[in-house]
Amino acid sequence: MIAASLYIVVCSARNRARMRLRRLREPRYLVGAIAGAAYVYFSFFARLRTARVGPRRRSAAATPIVLASAMRAGAAGLVGLALFAVTVAAWVLPFDSGLLAFSDAEIQFLFPAPVSRRALLLHRMIRSQIGLLFGGAIIGIAMPSVSGYARLRTSIAMWLLLSIGKVYFTGISLARATLASRDARARRAAWLPVGVLGAASVVIAAALYQALSSGAPPSMRELLERVAAAIGTGAAGLVLWPFTTMARPIFAVGVGEYLAALAGSALVLAATIAWVLQTDAALEEAAAAAAERRAMHSATQASAYRASRTGLTLAEGGRPEAIFAWKAATQTLRSVDRRNMLRLAAIVIALAAAATSLGRGNGVRALAGSFALAATAFVILMAPQVLRVDMREDLRHLDVLKTWPVRAAAIVRGELVWPGAILTAGAWTALALAEIFAGTSLFSRVRLAWRLSAGAAVAILAPALVFAQLTIHNAAALLFPAWVPLGHQRPRGLDAMGQRLILLGATWLLLIVSVIPGAIAGAIVWFALGPLVGPAAVVPAALVCAAAVAAEVLVATEALGPAYESLDLTAVERPE
Amino acid sequence: MALAVDHFSRTYSAASGTFTAVDDLSFAVAGGEIVGLIGPNGAGKTTTLRSIAGILKPTAGVIRIDGHDIVADPIDAKRRLAFMPDEPHLFEYLTVAEHLRLVARLYGVDEFDRRAAALLDELELTGKEGSLPGELSRGMRQKVVIACGLVRHATTLLFDEPLTGLDPIGIRRMRNTIAARAQQGAAILLSSHLLHLVEEVCSRVIIMDRGRKIADGTCEELASRADLAAAGSSLEQIFFRVTGHGA
Repeated sequence: MIAASLYIVVCSARNRARMRLRRLREPRYLVGAIAGAAYVYFSFFARLRTARVGPRRRSAAATPIVLASAMRAGAAGLVGLALFAVTVAAWVLPFDSGLLAFSDAEIQFLFPAPVSRRALLLHRMIRSQIGLLFGGAIIGIAMPSVSGYARLRTSIAMWLLLSIGKVYFTGISLARATLASRDARARRAAWLPVGVLGAASVVIAAALYQALSSGAPPSMRELLERVAAAIGTGAAGLVLWPFTTMARPIFAVGVGEYLAALAGSALVLAATIAWVLQTDAALEEAAAAAAERRAMHSATQASAYRASRTGLTLAEGGRPEAIFAWKAATQTLRSVDRRNMLRLAAIVIALAAAATSLGRGNGVRALAGSFALAATAFVILMAPQVLRVDMREDLRHLDVLKTWPVRAAAIVRGELVWPGAILTAGAWTALALAEIFAGTSLFSRVRLAWRLSAGAAVAILAPALVFAQLTIHNAAALLFPAWVPLGHQRPRGLDAMGQRLILLGATWLLLIVSVIPGAIAGAIVWFALGPLVGPAAVVPAALVCAAAVAAEVLVATEALGPAYESLDLTAVERPE
Repeated sequence: MALAVDHFSRTYSAASGTFTAVDDLSFAVAGGEIVGLIGPNGAGKTTTLRSIAGILKPTAGVIRIDGHDIVADPIDAKRRLAFMPDEPHLFEYLTVAEHLRLVARLYGVDEFDRRAAALLDELELTGKEGSLPGELSRGMRQKVVIACGLVRHATTLLFDEPLTGLDPIGIRRMRNTIAARAQQGAAILLSSHLLHLVEEVCSRVIIMDRGRKIADGTCEELASRADLAAAGSSLEQIFFRVTGHGA
């Protein structure tokens, strides 16, 4: 079976490379490939060269290295703690590692073949190696290091870490499937890791509480040092040993220490594989279920939607935009597992409560505030690229939409309503958390009036920026449909990466251009009202800017109507 | 005329050059008439139906639904039209009932609840109102598409292979449904490879080959044509003869 797996891996990789080279004859793929190659060169390889010849730059980059050296003793423990947190989260918020996602061809050829289910799992593990090796190599290249040897070492360490994760998350999926098994023995075996992880969580939580309850850490560095010290010894150190062992090769100094750490990590991988393979009965069922899901998916093009009640009713009258908002809202509510969302909300609330109660000083609050600020920026500037419940998703249904008696501009606007609304809600939530945590730690020296005014201004500008970006993305979908992946499709390859980069760059450029008139108008308001009302002047300035962007969005959606009317189905790219 | 197609052409552009799928096609369908559109694979039937439905834009020519140009006046034209494609294309996250309600909202259907209930019963979909497309068989999904087309007051109905995936009972019911809609005054254009269905249901037949109309008339008229007289009287014999595949 291993020989057959290797044959499939080699042939698939060769044919995929050929196909991607062949499609470079089309300009859009060629342009994408050039952009992708330039990105890879300037992001990774150019840095390698400058790191070798640029001592001045090296000294400039010395500060984080010094910081890393100071933290080196506890770094493996801290990363191990993060891996432990991810492991616990994987039980609470289960996600599919994709290891059992057999392709249609695999189901058709390998399932009826005389091979065991364990052999099938090994086959999937072999098939996943190219992706894991690539992931490890990218992380190795991207790391801030001066030598190729160090990059190679990191790549190998990351490959082992990613492999363990891939197998382990599959093990969780299998164990979860057996938690409610009628077979008492299988049920006990499935609950055992849950019990072990639960006990480990108590031990670690106790160690962390002890470290932080003695007094609030004054800085983030002090916080990390205290945590590292608390989890590096005693029962917590013992409990975290497998996780720390996985992280140790990344931070090892010297060949001997590195090889020893690598051996430890390989041992953890072997133990994880053994654990997954021993759940043979569950594996049989899970593999069959995965195959069935896949077959069903291919037959119906359906993803994981459930016919649950959404509480949304389509009104009999009103603007046609409401139809699209209702449709997209129904799609979102049916694709989200509400239990997992409740668990996620519980985790966020618990962490926020912990940050509030423990962080009387700056350390924990500053950490929570940093995350909240990053989340706010991500939701406003990046999430419109990621959330695609709009024309980018609906291009798949274009032959249905085109038969509807609705004005084209109303369709374009309707597609923006729901994603714009939920992204705005997400941005406001993250901003509120940022105001609470960052405002009382990172910006505690800034006057309250300034903090509140700035927060209100960002809250006002957030929907404008979100809707502007959604408009640009939907315009790209209508004007350049071949460049936009359909639905959940994620095309791979250097050319596809280049296409995404070009689209992202163009989006941000257009966003800047579209905000300029509003920003100028807002600045005039700010200069006019600033001397009179002080920091509060930023609020009417933001209102004026947001109104200008909103007007542009309205005009743009009207202008996109003819583009929708003339959009040809044959221009829409189908999946590979 | 409920449906009028006048000098319609449609060309596709590809990297390898341009390809004319339909070339200078003209025909009309009156209310109460059922016209069969037949032809070998690649004849241009689906392109014609999709262009009439407003999915594809004609390269040349004019298509009118009740006098409304599908390009110049698309909203009024589409309001009078129902297109039932061969591939049941549904929103995978909406239930059967929600699909019908969506269509009712889009087309402004009055007495929706009564019409929907009657239609679900007629198409044997009762009990499936709360199901998602992923939970239905192909035949059931085809019926949902047809229900969405029939729930509104369309004057022109376009069927592309309407019997695909249906069981024998469904096929019989669908034949009766199509005939009933024609009796109520709807203009029906039906594309199918099932020649016996076309012969049985349709009052007139249009035969296409390589994008062009090569025959148009009732089965009797076609059989009496001088160049086809030797072929035989059945539509199948006429079809093979006229498309050049006759023995």
